[in-house]
Formats: sequence, structure tokens, C-alpha cells
Amino acid sequence: MASRLIRQSQGATKIVKQILSTDKAEARRRVLNLYKAWYRQIPYVVLNYEIPGVTVKDGRVKLREMFMKNKHVTDLRAIDFLVIRGQMELVETVNIWKQKNHIMTWFKDTWNPKPADFLSKFYEGN
Amino acid sequence: MATLLKIWPLMGRRILGNPAACLACKSARTASGSSDQPEVELFVNDIPVSVPPGTTVLQACAEVGVQIPRFCYHDRLSIAGNCRMCLVEVEKSAKPVASCAMPVMKGMRVKTDSEIARKAREGVMEFLLMNHPLDCPICDQGGECDLQDQSMVFGSDRSRFVDMDHEGKRAVEDKDIGPLVKTIMTRCIQCTRCVRFANEIAGVEEIGTTGRGSDMQIGTYVEKLFGSELSGNIIDICPVGALTSKPYAFTARPWENRKTESIDVMDALGSNIIVATREGSVIRILPRLHEDINEEWLSDRSRFAYDGLKRQRLVSPMVKDASGTLVSCEWEDAFFTILDRLTGVTGSEIAAIAGGHADAESLIVLKDLLNRLGSEALCTEEIFPMDAAGTDLRSNYLLNTQISGIEEAEVVLLVGTNPRYEAPLLNARIRKSWLHNDLTVGVIGPQLDLTYEYDHLGDSTKVLQELAAGTHPFNKVLSSTKRAMIIVGSAVLQRADGGAIHAAMSTLAQNHRVKSGCDESWRVLNVLQRVASQVAALDLGYKAGVQVVRDNPPKVLYLLGADEQTVTKADLPSDCFVVYQGCHGDAGASMADVVLPGAAYTEKVGTYVNTEGRAQQTQVAVTPPGMAREDWKIIRALSEIVGQTLPYDNLNEVRRRLAQMSPNLTRYGDVEEANYFKQAEELAKSVKSSLASDALTPPQLSLKDFYMVDSISRASQTMAHCVAAVTKAEAK
Repeated sequence: MASRLIRQSQGATKIVKQILSTDKAEARRRVLNLYKAWYRQIPYVVLNYEIPGVTVKDGRVKLREMFMKNKHVTDLRAIDFLVIRGQMELVETVNIWKQKNHIMTWFKDTWNPKPADFLSKFYEGN
Repeated sequence: MATLLKIWPLMGRRILGNPAACLACKSARTASGSSDQPEVELFVNDIPVSVPPGTTVLQACAEVGVQIPRFCYHDRLSIAGNCRMCLVEVEKSAKPVASCAMPVMKGMRVKTDSEIARKAREGVMEFLLMNHPLDCPICDQGGECDLQDQSMVFGSDRSRFVDMDHEGKRAVEDKDIGPLVKTIMTRCIQCTRCVRFANEIAGVEEIGTTGRGSDMQIGTYVEKLFGSELSGNIIDICPVGALTSKPYAFTARPWENRKTESIDVMDALGSNIIVATREGSVIRILPRLHEDINEEWLSDRSRFAYDGLKRQRLVSPMVKDASGTLVSCEWEDAFFTILDRLTGVTGSEIAAIAGGHADAESLIVLKDLLNRLGSEALCTEEIFPMDAAGTDLRSNYLLNTQISGIEEAEVVLLVGTNPRYEAPLLNARIRKSWLHNDLTVGVIGPQLDLTYEYDHLGDSTKVLQELAAGTHPFNKVLSSTKRAMIIVGSAVLQRADGGAIHAAMSTLAQNHRVKSGCDESWRVLNVLQRVASQVAALDLGYKAGVQVVRDNPPKVLYLLGADEQTVTKADLPSDCFVVYQGCHGDAGASMADVVLPGAAYTEKVGTYVNTEGRAQQTQVAVTPPGMAREDWKIIRALSEIVGQTLPYDNLNEVRRRLAQMSPNLTRYGDVEEANYFKQAEELAKSVKSSLASDALTPPQLSLKDFYMVDSISRASQTMAHCVAAVTKAEAK
């Protein structure tokens, strides 16, 4: 599929077909717009989903954390993909298509980390 | 066709069961060169094939890949030719011929798929099914039944069955031949494979035929136990459901089972097995073909002791509480209890004893741990004389000639061993060679029924002296051959004068090698081990025997599956702390202060070296029960707790360490040969102990002693039934 998106132009340079954004500024604007939309939605998310122990502030910290997780991405197409994914998540959250546990997994409070060293693996049974 | 039929491989094998082939191999040995008789050319379905004279038509057909249906023919048994299923058409012959019994002739034109051949098969099949019950849905052979498969392929597609009232079918009373083999004799098609197996391979002439025609019956004539240590094999060779496994009855269908190819640890031969599992438990064990070890047979203990894997299991770590009872706990609790006791104890006050089922991985990890703690007192439960070269030279403790070497031997001398119960398949090999190669067998020990005739040289140690000095009459027999084997049982080497016995036999063997002028590659001295772990433990540098523990009573004793009570509480100081690691709650666990549950041989990947020095590995068929863990992992985890973390985290790293210690331990499937017989013999001269006067008696004398010898078989109900049945039969 990727090869179909890459159009061969004259010479050796390849021109990659954009998804949404044509330049860096536009991509940045889209990211910020998505961030703001989420930021405004968070009080309602906290209200609707009633996640125990999660306040509006916690939600915003998590939002920032999840955006910052991708701060190293520079490829425009990758950024656009992430924005589209984020938008989809937002829509699903707003419409309450998600369930409580889907939101809870972002906070991962109940997850036990997989044992890495020999002794903890041994106690676990592997 | 080939996918449906159970095919016995025919090619590339020396067939001792076939008299013609046997004659050929014998003449090859006595007068080399005379066996180059011209091959006979014949045509199978117009395909030309050349085979040596004396080959049967059936074997010649197998040569070109044509499998002929058969019931009575089995390539390890003599030819009976009574089922008539293998009829083929031979041009210019008046009638179809039974291909299993017909020797090839020059220019023969065999047709296996002609009108006549097909009609003959259909007819035979119709006659067989006429008197065969229609109970396939409740028959245990269903799914692995030759009659079922072959009637699908070669039978007629319509029935002439008119006996709607079920009046005329032949019915035969079932026989009770013991707790292992279930008989439903109405299903029998009189192929006589079981009769031939009992008479030829097992050497127990208790099964035979009575009556003729449709009144013919297979059985023991008077109702009695089929008292053979190889009795389970008649279940495998029975082509129908007449002989099935009693413990396995009505448990599963073959297509529901998961099969794992593994290694047996019930004796030191390392027989190849298939472990069939279903719903997380072992439901049966079958032999797997290995020409050099077990051929396609398996001893009853290896085959039927599997129900012991579900009983008496240790499923959780346990620590002794203040009142002296063992209480289940978490792994951490058990480890820290051990750590508490280890602090303040110097290395020399720690010792370890490895039992008969320990795998090489756990042996090396335990050795590394104890060495790091400063202890060298690691020993095996099985005693082996440590004087002179002792276990430093591998040739001293291996079955050097190998199991298949018995077929090439002309004289075998058994010293203080009862191979029939210590290693049944080795005994079957000796019998095979005795039957077909005129092997001469001499026995030093009590006069026992070994299923073959032998020269009894007495059971006193004087015989050994005379033999070593060359003055015994049997020396003449030995000097008449270049192919002699001396098999010393490991049991007699456990006596106080074991070193002297070993030295005497070493001298005899070396003298024979020099005098007879046999080639360098032929080895004479053999030691028959009895437990699966011994060779690997000695290869890794364990001391044989627990004398070292007795001499320096330890403060902490680590038992790795040691259940034979070679060291008891009475031998140890009262404050000695005993840790037991193993799979069964047996003698070892009952004297322990901390119990660590390990995995049994069907539950771990483990390396075992058999008595020949052949490394093989078991595979995981089921997961260990409860909180039990693979053995090497337990010791590795303990090492981290005591602050001596061992530098390996996974199996590959442990194996690398094994290879460092002794590369042969990871060369799976290969026999690592041993040498230096001359040096061993020279060193043996320095043995100081002298021969005692007690008789050379192996511990297992009757069939009763055969069934329960280790923690798994002692926990097995089937084995207990066997002992009860044999005891009852002996009392009659």
C-alpha cells in the first residue's frame, strides 16, 4: 500500500502523497486543535464515566502525557495518522461508545507489570 | 492407502527374525565373502527389483514401495502365514500366494493389485469379519485398529450379512491374564502375533493356541498370569482389539491424545517413548522406535507406571513447623527458611545427594551452587567403587559395547546382575542374540530364569578370582572368541568389595582383549547401571555413593530426589537440616525439614544419559502440578536467595554450562564412547580391598521385585496390582 502512495517523479526524488497536512505548520495546528478539543471535553468525560479516583486534573495530566508520548514524531503523515486516531478516540468517548474499562486502561492502575527477572518469573510460575 | 495403514518399516534393517536373513548374516560372519550371492531380480507390478535370495515377496514389494496388507506378519517375529491377508497374484502360479511366507524366485512376476489379488483379499476380509463382533464403537482399539483400517481399504463395499438375529457369530470366553492386559477374545482373528511374541521375544512360553479351525483359541490353556516383564508389548502388536491395555481401558480415543516424544527414566536404558496426554494428564505411554535401544518394545514398568505420576505428588513447598509436621507454604517462605539455616554454616558442613531420576540440568546447577557455597560433598545415591581409577575414567562405568553390540557378541558373561528385571530390553536383546546368533551366555550369580539357557558358573567371588587368573574352565570359552562381553551389574559393585570385583573384571576384560586380538573398537568390559541419572551424575563429577555424607555428617543436607533411604535420619546428627527436592512424597520427603516440589520426567525438558553413554532429552508433556517447578529452576532461584546467583537464566544457558563441563551431555542421540581400558586396568591393580566371600546376588530376583523400584512406581496403583497378582500366582 505504501508503494502506491509513493509517486515516482522525475529523477530520484520521491514525492510522498500527504494525508491531511501539507506542511509542518498545518500539522501542528491540527495537533493543537485536537488537544484543545480533548482538554475541553475532559470535565464531561470525568463526569460521564465516573472513574474512581480520577479528577479533572488527573485527566488533563494524562492527556498531556499521552500527547507528549508522541512528541518525537516528525513525519507529517505519521502525525496526521495520530491526529486521526485521536479524533476517533474522542468521538467514541464523547458518544459514550466506550465503556468504563476502556478509559480505566489509560490509567493502568490495576495492571501488574510482567516480571522481568528470574526470581519474580519463578514465583509467578514461569 | 498408505496413510490409512499402519506401516511397519521394512527397509534398512537387519532382520534377525527372518531365518534366511539370519543365515545370511551368520555366514557373513563365519566366512566373509561367501555372502555375495547374486541378487534375484523379480517384477512387482511390472517394476523390476533386485533383492538378496531368501527375501520374501512381501519384503521385495516393500522395497519398491508397495505395501501389502497383513495381519499375522510382523518383521520382528517369525513368519506364521496364517492370516492369508497378504495374498498376491504371481504369474504362472495356480493360486494366489501368501506373500509374507513366499521366498522370491528369479523372474517372478508379482501382481499386487490385480483382479485375483483383490478378490482374494476381499474374500479373506469377509471371512474375518464374519466372526468379528461389530463392537468398534466400544472397542479400545478403535482408531488404531488394523482390521478397521484394512477393511476400509481392502474390504468389500457391500455385505452379505444375513444373520439379523445374531445367532451364528463365534464367541470366545475372555481370559484373565493379569492386571495389565485386557482380553476380549471374541475379537481375536488368530494372527498368533502374541503367541510368537511371548515365545520368541519375551521367552515366556505361557501363551499358545488350542483347537483348530473356527474352534481355535489363543490363551494360557489353564487360567494363569502372563508373567512377563514385557507383557505390555502384546497390546501393541495385536492388530485388533483382542488384547488391550487394562489401565487405559475406555479412557480415550487415539485421535484425542496429544503425543509427546520423550525418554523413559524407569531404568538406565533410556528407552524412547511417546507420552500420550489428554486434559493435562498422562493417559498412556507407548514405545517409540529406536533400533539401538528398545527397538519397538517397552518394559511393563516404563509403560504402566504412569499412574504413579498423579499420586503422592508434592504440589506445594512445605516447611516443618514447631510441632514437627510439614505445612504448605509459599516458595519465598521455604527459600528463606533454608537461607536462615544456611547462614553461619560453613561450606564443608553442606552436602547433597542426587537420586535416580535427577536430570543433568538440575545436577549441574546443584553442583555449581554447592561449589560456590564451598562444598564438594556432592554424591549420588547409587554406589560405585571409587578406588583406583573409580569414576575418573568413563569406560569404568559405561555399557561400553552398547546395547546393539550384543547382537555382534559371541560370548556374554553376566556378573551379579539380573538383566531380566534390571533392564528388560537388554535381556530381550541377549535372548534375541541367543536365539539367532548362537550366543553363549555365562552367569555368575544365583540361578535365575533369564529366558535363555546359560552356563552357570556359581555365585561365589572365587569364580571371579579364577577368571581373572585365567584358570577357570570358562576362560577357554572366552578365549575361543574375539567378540566377548562382560556385563557387570551395578548392584554387586555396591558391596564393600565392589572395587575388587570391578578390578577383577577389568583385568579379565583387558587380558581377553590382549589375548584374543580383537580389534581396538571392540570393548569387553560393560557396567549395567540401574538408574537413569547415574551416568550423567558421574560425568559431571558427582561422587558415587553416600559414604562422604556418612564420614562427615553435614549440618545441611540437600536431597535431589533421593528416595532410596541410603541415608536416614539415624545416620545424621540430630540438628541436621534436610532439604528435599523432588516430585513424590516418598522416603526422602518424609525425613525433610523443607520440601521443594519438583517436576517429574514427563513435565520437564531434561537431559538423561543412558547406561551406554547416550545423551537424550525428555520433553514436556504436561505442566507440573500445583506450585511444582522444573528442578533446575528451583535451585537457580535458591541460589539467588542465598546470595550466590548462578549465571544462567534459561535452559540454553544451563545447557551451555553442561557442555562446558562435559560436551557429550548436549550431543543428543549420540553415544560418546569411552576408552583407556588399559590404563584403567593398570590402576585397578592398586585396589586394596579384597573379595569377600558372600555370594554375588542382585537385588531383584523374581518378577515381584521388578514392578516397584522408584518413587514413581511405588506410587503407582497399577504396579501395586501387578505385585499382588504375581504374589497370588506364586502362592498357587
